[in-house]
Amino acid sequence: MDNEKDCSMYTEHIDSGKRKVTLSMTVNGRPVVRDVDPNMTLLHFLRDNLKLFGTKEACGEGECGACTIILNGKAVTSCIVLAVEAEGAQITTVEGLSKNGKLSILQEEFVSQDALQCGFCTPGFLMSTRALLDHNPNPTDEEIVEVLSGNLCRCTGYIPILQAVKRTAERERKELGR
Amino acid sequence: MISRFAYFKPHNINEAVQYLEKEEKSFVLAGGTDLMILLRRNIINAEHIVDIKGLPETSEFSFVDGAGLTIGASVVVNRIVDSEVVKAKYPALNQAAASLASFQLRNRATVVGNICNASPGADLPPALLVYDAVVNIAGPQGTRQVPLHEFFTGVKRTVLQRGEIVVSVHLPDPGEGDKSIYLRQARLRGHDLAAVGVASRVRPDGKVAIGISAVAPTPKRLFALEDMINERGLSQETVELAGQAIHEHIRPITDVRSSAQYRLLTSSVLLKRGLLALIGKEA
Repeated sequence: MDNEKDCSMYTEHIDSGKRKVTLSMTVNGRPVVRDVDPNMTLLHFLRDNLKLFGTKEACGEGECGACTIILNGKAVTSCIVLAVEAEGAQITTVEGLSKNGKLSILQEEFVSQDALQCGFCTPGFLMSTRALLDHNPNPTDEEIVEVLSGNLCRCTGYIPILQAVKRTAERERKELGR
Repeated sequence: MISRFAYFKPHNINEAVQYLEKEEKSFVLAGGTDLMILLRRNIINAEHIVDIKGLPETSEFSFVDGAGLTIGASVVVNRIVDSEVVKAKYPALNQAAASLASFQLRNRATVVGNICNASPGADLPPALLVYDAVVNIAGPQGTRQVPLHEFFTGVKRTVLQRGEIVVSVHLPDPGEGDKSIYLRQARLRGHDLAAVGVASRVRPDGKVAIGISAVAPTPKRLFALEDMINERGLSQETVELAGQAIHEHIRPITDVRSSAQYRLLTSSVLLKRGLLALIGKEA
């Protein structure tokens, strides 16, 4: 009995498997429903389907951190997550940081500290930092370095970035009472 | 672009096992930090991906006094890094977990995935091996338990048969007074694979256990070397002897991360450093 039931379900899945899957999630506070191919990465879903081009692809293998987003509260490299794995998820991308056209404290501090040059890695750094400060509003230098060690920058160097993160934490504690 | 496949997210283990048994080119997905790379590089040709994160048993992460620690197949590495009970009871596992890849990858990579990927240089197996970890497997013939030291059969090869999945890994309670340490050598301090990783453990009765990776086709427990130390009793002298004898128990190769010669020397140094730290005689 159980076997019969199970097998019919498999057939259904196999038949529909290579076709699109309906996916719903919340991106930057907005509900999103789309049909996607199972082999699409979350990164390409965000860029190609939702036209959120802030999240960047560089290595495509989880090594460089340019595609870092926040998935259910955790910083992850979206290039090695399938879009279908994010069914029902809460997602924040770099586009979700500014509010009403005004940069967030975090973004302001990256600007004030010159923590970017070409800017390609910046969305990833911002999202790793955002996830860190959401869990730990007062991190030590070591904790910051550990969390950002999966984000590579090839032009600015890491000192201005570290400085920007520390100033953000300080300002958020003061101004937002974190 | 990744080749096309069917995606299946089973709700119970029977569904998962039956699907994996039925479909030849099917692969298990948990964290995806290894699988996605293989797909992207077209190293594997998957027609079916079975996402096991919906199986309730794979979310288990529990410690029971006297029984030990169970880590389900969906439990990510950062859970181990943040766990107070792992820090207190299984320090080598905590240290190995904290040394693995980058922070973002540890938010996705699973402990069981690090075992199933069966890389010779994986960071977690040495630590799991010294705690006599047992792998809980479900398959078409039911469930079975395999000690981790019998789980690896070669480079990227395990005892897993078609249709089988690892549901969890279990570590017995080490009890009070147990000590352990994981030391690794890599080319750089951040995000790099280990050239050598050594887990050393001293049990409350003074007996040692040694696990090592990146010096043989699979991560290994060095039982014969442990016997040599345990028969003589753990001391600075036997640690020195073990450091000289370790080269008889490993077969490192030369690759991009290290030469075989460097691995031999480093294995000796990390073993001695670890054991001496555990007996309070820093090298």
